[in-house]
Amino acid sequence: MRIGRSTVMILLISLVVGFSIIAVFPTFSDAQSESKTFVTHSGAVVQTSGKIIDPLYAVSTVEFDPMEYLRDFNYGDVSQLSDGTVLREFTIIAEDDKIMEVSPGVFYNVWTFNGTVPGPTIRATEGDLLRIHFINNGSKEHTMHFHGIHPAGMDGVFEPVGGNGGQFVYEFEAGPVGVHPYHCHVMPLEEHIVHGLYGVFIVDPKEKRPPADEMVMVLNGLDTDFDTENNFYAANTIPFYYQHHPIQINTDELIRVYVVNMVEFDPINNLHLHGNLYKYYPTGTDLVPSFYTDMITLSQTERGIMEFEYKYPGKYLFHAHKVEFSEKGWVGIFLVNNSTEKDTVELDYGS
Amino acid sequence: MDLSNNSSKGKLIASGLIPFLFLILLMAYIFGPGAELLDFGVILPEITIEKVDFIDSEIQATVRNTGHMPVEIVMADINDRIQPAAVEPDGFLERFETTLVRIPFEWNEAEPYTIGITVEDGTRFEKEIEAATPALEPSLDLTIFFAVIGTYVGIIPVMIGLLWLPFIKRINKQKYHFFLALTVGLLLFLAIDSIEEAVEVSDENLASSFNGTLLVATVTILSFLGLYYIGNKLVEKAGSSKFTKPVAIALMISIGIGLHNFGEGLAIGAALGMGSIAFSTFLIVGFALHNTTEGIAIAAPMSRGKLMIGKLAAMGLIAGSPAIFGAWIGGFVYSPFTSVIFLAVGAGAIFQVIVVIMKWIQEENDQNLSTIAVVSGIAVGMLVMYLTSILV
Repeated sequence: MRIGRSTVMILLISLVVGFSIIAVFPTFSDAQSESKTFVTHSGAVVQTSGKIIDPLYAVSTVEFDPMEYLRDFNYGDVSQLSDGTVLREFTIIAEDDKIMEVSPGVFYNVWTFNGTVPGPTIRATEGDLLRIHFINNGSKEHTMHFHGIHPAGMDGVFEPVGGNGGQFVYEFEAGPVGVHPYHCHVMPLEEHIVHGLYGVFIVDPKEKRPPADEMVMVLNGLDTDFDTENNFYAANTIPFYYQHHPIQINTDELIRVYVVNMVEFDPINNLHLHGNLYKYYPTGTDLVPSFYTDMITLSQTERGIMEFEYKYPGKYLFHAHKVEFSEKGWVGIFLVNNSTEKDTVELDYGS
Repeated sequence: MDLSNNSSKGKLIASGLIPFLFLILLMAYIFGPGAELLDFGVILPEITIEKVDFIDSEIQATVRNTGHMPVEIVMADINDRIQPAAVEPDGFLERFETTLVRIPFEWNEAEPYTIGITVEDGTRFEKEIEAATPALEPSLDLTIFFAVIGTYVGIIPVMIGLLWLPFIKRINKQKYHFFLALTVGLLLFLAIDSIEEAVEVSDENLASSFNGTLLVATVTILSFLGLYYIGNKLVEKAGSSKFTKPVAIALMISIGIGLHNFGEGLAIGAALGMGSIAFSTFLIVGFALHNTTEGIAIAAPMSRGKLMIGKLAAMGLIAGSPAIFGAWIGGFVYSPFTSVIFLAVGAGAIFQVIVVIMKWIQEENDQNLSTIAVVSGIAVGMLVMYLTSILV
């Protein structure tokens, strides 16, 4: 009896002690001895025996290629109607079950048009007839709502398209000239937008803009923990991508950037260009620039065209001057190469 | 009665084991064919940033997986701004595993910082630090500094309290019981104080998966039971060995108070470690005044034996010196979990001492505890402690 009691006591005490020891001393698992280095934001080089977690310097394995998206314009299947009008047909498929690695190690459920965020850049010339075959392969209702001028029935608001194969054909005349967003307009709207159902719609003027190295930048944010605050910001979805992979351009070459702000939650976004100023065409609806500046503030779905040429070669940052956004990924670099001879690529519309 | 024959002994064993068999079957079913039954609901990742250290051009966060599934740490930020970082040894954490996230950052002293850690599904967890202060590097100077503070807070006040011994010795039985009861009041306050502190530390720093309050309750009661058992053995032997009963009781009181002072040392060391220096000065002055009363608690039972200066001094050391060790641990290797455990053990020890003293008064007082001396003693003890605690 006496032995029993003291045994129990010893057992209890050793349990307490053992539990304390386990919890007090962190159980560091199989340590790696291999040493790696990484560079901090302020340039310091740091050594570690562990794993580097860095959205900037880690080798990117992201599925979506912002560099490919940057200069990818979709002109559709082109045919001509009997009255001479150009018809452009597109097929857009919506999905809402894709899990994508949006930043190294961070997996997020993106809702997509044709598999990417942003969706494909749709481009036409003013007066063309657009016919968009919309297929909803998602589980929820989705639509395509274009900013621009079109009949009420083509607005993508009161005509929700059911999931699992629902279809709709959007047909309207391209206009007005400029750069416009398109996005899903099903309620809750904020949810459908922030998950990625948006893209860019460019309407070129009939007289065409001067040839240039053209690119599209959708300024967007990702709220990966659903607390109505963005965890990441970016130009074209992947945070820090263009800082890690600078956009190559040439000196004395006209650069034209179609910028669309799709950031939700934060009332404003902006774009600041280093070492240069740009001509700014709000919404791109006018062929005469409104501003010559290096800083434009954009509210939700506010957009415009920026045109500039670099005189000096080298690396130039472009980023949100709302620095919080740039420190969360909305920052990039133009790597300006010396163009020895004038070899501007002649871009042809509607090919 | 019929336990003696073999078949009924077999029945006894079987009746003890059968419920276990069913328990094993239940487990096997849940993990085996019945697994689908439980395959509903969403398991969310959860991590806790247990500790943040500010060192040269770097902020280090100790992160524990306190959720119900393994997680991978993929990103770190300071004040919600993404920073390149390293995670050692790696970012993959099984349940309860910890890892160290090193975030190079030029931090500024005394400024507040929020440390954020993001896991693979994009969920971000954060911890706010009120004021950045450099982590204390263990050095000889600092070790001595903490020892001096521990002495000032623990040993000296307790010794001063012991100086009341000649006074207590001269008073009559009634007044003596008042002082014993006063000790009970003092100790009761200390025990409640320890529990409150333990619950507070666990609420602030430990993940909910530790069940902080229940952890404190469990450790307090285990510590009480363990010391109660050992203490009774000690008192039983008191007659035969060189220890007299008052000495045995005083020794138990000093061990209990020692454990409590260890917790106080932890609090002071951690306060210094976390850089709240002004707060710490108050803490030290408060504890010094407060702890003088602990000397009385030890002196009261000792006053009925022979005057044994050596034993008295030893007990003062037992009660006071743990403050030094506490300050070292709190300052150099602070861990909220250790603090909670020690505070709870201390509380259990003090409850045990309270029970012993109450029993002793009861025996001396013809089984009567409801005398004016006892009741007023406990009340005054609590009040004195409360009033001196306002200084802390």
